[in-house]
Amino acid sequence: MSHVVANPSPRPKDKGRSKGAPTPWRQKKKPKEQAEFPGLRSLNGKWGYLFIAPFIIMFLIFGLAPVLYSTVIAFYQYDPLGEQTFIGLDNFMYLLDDSTFWTSIGNTFDIWFWSTFPQMAMSIGLAAVLRNRFLKAKTFWRTILLVPNITSVLAVAIVFGQLFGRDFGMVNMVLGWFGVPNVDFIENPFAAHIAIASMITWRWVGYNALIFLAAMLAIPDELYESASLDGAKSWQQFRYVTLPGLRNTITFVLIVGTIGGLQVFAEPLTLGGSTSGGSEHQFSTLTLFLYDQAFVANQWGYGAAIGIMITIIVLIISGINFLVTRALTTGEAK
Amino acid sequence: MKFKKFTAGIALAGLVLGAGVSSATAAATEEKVTISKTITIWTFGDVIEPNLILQYKKVHPDIQLEIKKSDLAAMNGTDMTAACTSKTGPDLVAVEVQYSGKWRSYPKCFTDLKTMRTSSANTTMTTIFKTHKKGQDNYYDLDASGNRIKVANSNYYIDSTGAKVNVGSVKAGLSATSIKPNFIPWRWEQGVGHDGSVIGIPTDVGGMEVLYRTDLFVKAGLITAAQSKNGTGRDIVSKMWPTWDKFIATGKKYVSKLSAADKKKGVGFIDNVGGIFTAMLNQAKEKYYHDNGTDSGTIYAVNPKTKKKEPIYSFSPQIKAAWDNVIVADKAKIGTRTAQFSPDWPVGMNNGKFAVIMAPAWMMDYVKQQAPLTKGKWDVAALPGGGGNLGGTQLGITSYSDAKQEAWDFLSWYLAPEQQLQVFRTYGLFPSTKSIYNDASVKDYKDPFFNNAPVGKIYSTGILKLKPIFEGELNPVIDKAFGDGLGRVAAGKKTSAASWKITMDELKKLTRTAR
Amino acid sequence: MTTVVKPVKNRRPSWQKVGLGGYIALGFMAFLSVFPFYWMFVVASNGTEEVSKIPPALLPGPRFLTVIQHVYEVIPFNTALINTTIVGLVVAVAQVFFSALAGFAFAKLDFRGRRGMIVFVIATMMLPSQLGIIPLYILIAGWGWVNTLLALIVPALVTAFGVFWMRQVIDAQVPNEMLEAASIDGAGVMRVYWSIVLPIIRQSGFVLGLFSFLATWNDFLWPNLVLQSPDMYTAQVAVNQLKASYVIDYALNLGGAFMATAPLLLLFVFVGRRLVSGVMDGAVKG
Repeated sequence: MSHVVANPSPRPKDKGRSKGAPTPWRQKKKPKEQAEFPGLRSLNGKWGYLFIAPFIIMFLIFGLAPVLYSTVIAFYQYDPLGEQTFIGLDNFMYLLDDSTFWTSIGNTFDIWFWSTFPQMAMSIGLAAVLRNRFLKAKTFWRTILLVPNITSVLAVAIVFGQLFGRDFGMVNMVLGWFGVPNVDFIENPFAAHIAIASMITWRWVGYNALIFLAAMLAIPDELYESASLDGAKSWQQFRYVTLPGLRNTITFVLIVGTIGGLQVFAEPLTLGGSTSGGSEHQFSTLTLFLYDQAFVANQWGYGAAIGIMITIIVLIISGINFLVTRALTTGEAK
Repeated sequence: MKFKKFTAGIALAGLVLGAGVSSATAAATEEKVTISKTITIWTFGDVIEPNLILQYKKVHPDIQLEIKKSDLAAMNGTDMTAACTSKTGPDLVAVEVQYSGKWRSYPKCFTDLKTMRTSSANTTMTTIFKTHKKGQDNYYDLDASGNRIKVANSNYYIDSTGAKVNVGSVKAGLSATSIKPNFIPWRWEQGVGHDGSVIGIPTDVGGMEVLYRTDLFVKAGLITAAQSKNGTGRDIVSKMWPTWDKFIATGKKYVSKLSAADKKKGVGFIDNVGGIFTAMLNQAKEKYYHDNGTDSGTIYAVNPKTKKKEPIYSFSPQIKAAWDNVIVADKAKIGTRTAQFSPDWPVGMNNGKFAVIMAPAWMMDYVKQQAPLTKGKWDVAALPGGGGNLGGTQLGITSYSDAKQEAWDFLSWYLAPEQQLQVFRTYGLFPSTKSIYNDASVKDYKDPFFNNAPVGKIYSTGILKLKPIFEGELNPVIDKAFGDGLGRVAAGKKTSAASWKITMDELKKLTRTAR
Repeated sequence: MTTVVKPVKNRRPSWQKVGLGGYIALGFMAFLSVFPFYWMFVVASNGTEEVSKIPPALLPGPRFLTVIQHVYEVIPFNTALINTTIVGLVVAVAQVFFSALAGFAFAKLDFRGRRGMIVFVIATMMLPSQLGIIPLYILIAGWGWVNTLLALIVPALVTAFGVFWMRQVIDAQVPNEMLEAASIDGAGVMRVYWSIVLPIIRQSGFVLGLFSFLATWNDFLWPNLVLQSPDMYTAQVAVNQLKASYVIDYALNLGGAFMATAPLLLLFVFVGRRLVSGVMDGAVKG
């Protein structure tokens, strides 16, 4: 239920600087991550079972039961109050053939893309400003950027719905000052996705900026100083010092963002105004599609099958994410 | 330092706690009556009128009524499903008409109200109705079979302080059958299963008429200022559109009189032409379902052309006609494509972006709240084609309730005509109890917001014209699919034919397990 | 005449310049961050028709007290605040405690099945929660917890997300060398956990607790389903009782939303700074 984002603190390991290298400030690819750490031999591992016991018990009851339930009913034509017929893989076969499913995947990724990458660039940019030693009113800026994170998505979605109104919304009013004709944020699929992405970005950009800021502060100043002495331009410093230092954090923000992104639900429901996701399903994200099928069209088993597909997709994406970011942030330093 | 701030946080929480606790204890000392039974009611919006609840508390201080409002879709969907599956939940539920078809398929979740009898709990009060004829007040009561019997005036009870409190009452021994004659037959049927079990009793009925802006109609030359002022305008307007074709023609005329600047701003005749679709269909005898003698009905019928069983939506001439009509209206550019209940809607209402809204009775209250600046500028005309309905609610007792008797006593009291009259007066929700349509306070009710239109008379006339339509489980889903289909055409994304085809494909998917 | 030796001009390296552009960017973001809250207040205090004008009212109006009054007439809002605070505090404390325990075990202790379990936990975290609501309700109803705060507290005592978070935090912040040293000095696992791990992760624990608190505060679907009596409502369920119509009344809706959010904003004034340092603390250390 609670949706908490973990702190992706970079591991403060020694950065593998080798003396005599031409550009010692360039961060190298770390040796093998110590994340594979096997556990402390000196501490009695048996205690581990005791320590995880409360969590495992609670998890088995409240976490696993619903998962099992979903997994089972995905193989049924399932009516919780009526007939339940075992239909094997039919739900899954039907799903692969369902154009709305593919539309929903497309929408979800579009929204995910537009809510992740611009946001990440903005977060890193903001963090770069915030990290400055000579910035005035540091705490004020840091605190105010966290404000969007504290309120319920539902309430904010209503506000954004008003802002994005086609005829009288404030966004169109502002665009009008620049001569842009009114954008239909409901019917135009791209505009609709941008509207939703901006709601997600609004919520998380400050939070992620702080996370990036934390990671940036962990990068030793000497690296920048020696880079500066070597005559590296600020872009180069950013490219070869800052960015590699953020590798872990970027991976983490991406993974968490992807899990969240694949579960986007309240925003398209409120903005689009219906579970069907609009005239061409332009608002239909995977989770909204699940909700519509399970609870509105009364296809519970089908909804569960969608849920399982979402899980599989998240797992695949997390894997790809991890590999891509690793390649992006370390590949250059060869 | 940090710890200090943390303690400040705790102190804050304590402050909040303290404030709350003191008010809670204050409330506790006021109420001394022991509660013998608690009735939990799941509802939404205005279905339950709070003042009536206060009255009921005075009559039955030992009954606690707990009313929880939720969002309609979740409450009539997942919430009720969860409650019925686990046999734990409310005693009374409000079911909206569009979900009535679904819940009629699950009679096991409800108590058959035919089997209930009112206890003597309410008989300490005496009469129910008051009518006003020829300058004289008459008071009536109901006998066991629901017929009125005239009684002397004693429409009150004496409360603990000795004061007279006006209240309706219900006799002992009444079942759903005995109160049935009070209600509009087609509304009553929506809560009745095929084995005859009554799972819900109607509270309000939507009806559907046309709200129009007199000032804008005058400006467009459709009526004169004098007609608008003396109230004859609404009859003239009603006669302007006996049919949907004439309605669209009027729209064209209106749009043709608009200034170029207005046209550029997207001003139009009606907020959204999509509403014509369901309004037309609701005037037909059958919509998407065929009543085949089962609770769930069927979406299949024999297509007279192919002589095969096919889904009704795919061949019904009414559905195609309604679709085509919307397309014609859309091509004529009489609609502004403002979705009802979108954020743009109230703004458009206030700013004359459109001059016409097709509105059920409950929507009038919304217009009043959202567009108070337009007070007196609206009027009410009849819906083309005659009569319509959108929305309405029924109340039922759950099968797993442990307070069935108390719930029925309350329900039969709450839905008695006199109480429903009060709901009408407070919220403008139109009661389903037809026995009060002739009551002066309904018949002669004029609303100054709507140019003193006799709202009660206009709506009751339309409501009585309607015939029952079989509400199937997937009605709302099918409605939505057609709505989306028309939306695609309106947004210029697809041609009518292409969009119709997509809609058929989508419906095939959505109804794949329907009987 | 004394010559004042001017301090050497602060030589700011290029990467430490903060130009006007930086302040403008920050100012703009800060404005965007706060605007929706401000707008909520504007709509609630003006009524819908004021913001339905062209151009809309942009300043707060006089009606906010009416909204507050309405809230207090319809629902025991103080009770709702107490309920929400109780649930939030219990959940926050329990989350931190149990998550740290399990997170420590998953990060630092060697026992069979450790890796498999954490992977499984993360995988299940990804299943959308909407489907779980029916089986959860059946469970809770079976134990007779419907319409009690237990129904909100118990399922949230410890979540996969909290454990995952704590595993990451402890993995990153607690140096193995310290644990090794302590255990060589003869400290048992409990002792190590209590006197080394917990103090180090204090800040991150606070953040987890606070975010759990916020999540509990803002949760609506589940509390709205299980809570029946007005004296059990949480703030979000309570303000939902304001919806007086079939349809959205923006002023009332946003008024309610603002009422339910205001305590959080207030709390934020007190703990915001600490929250910020907590979010960042893990990285600064170590």
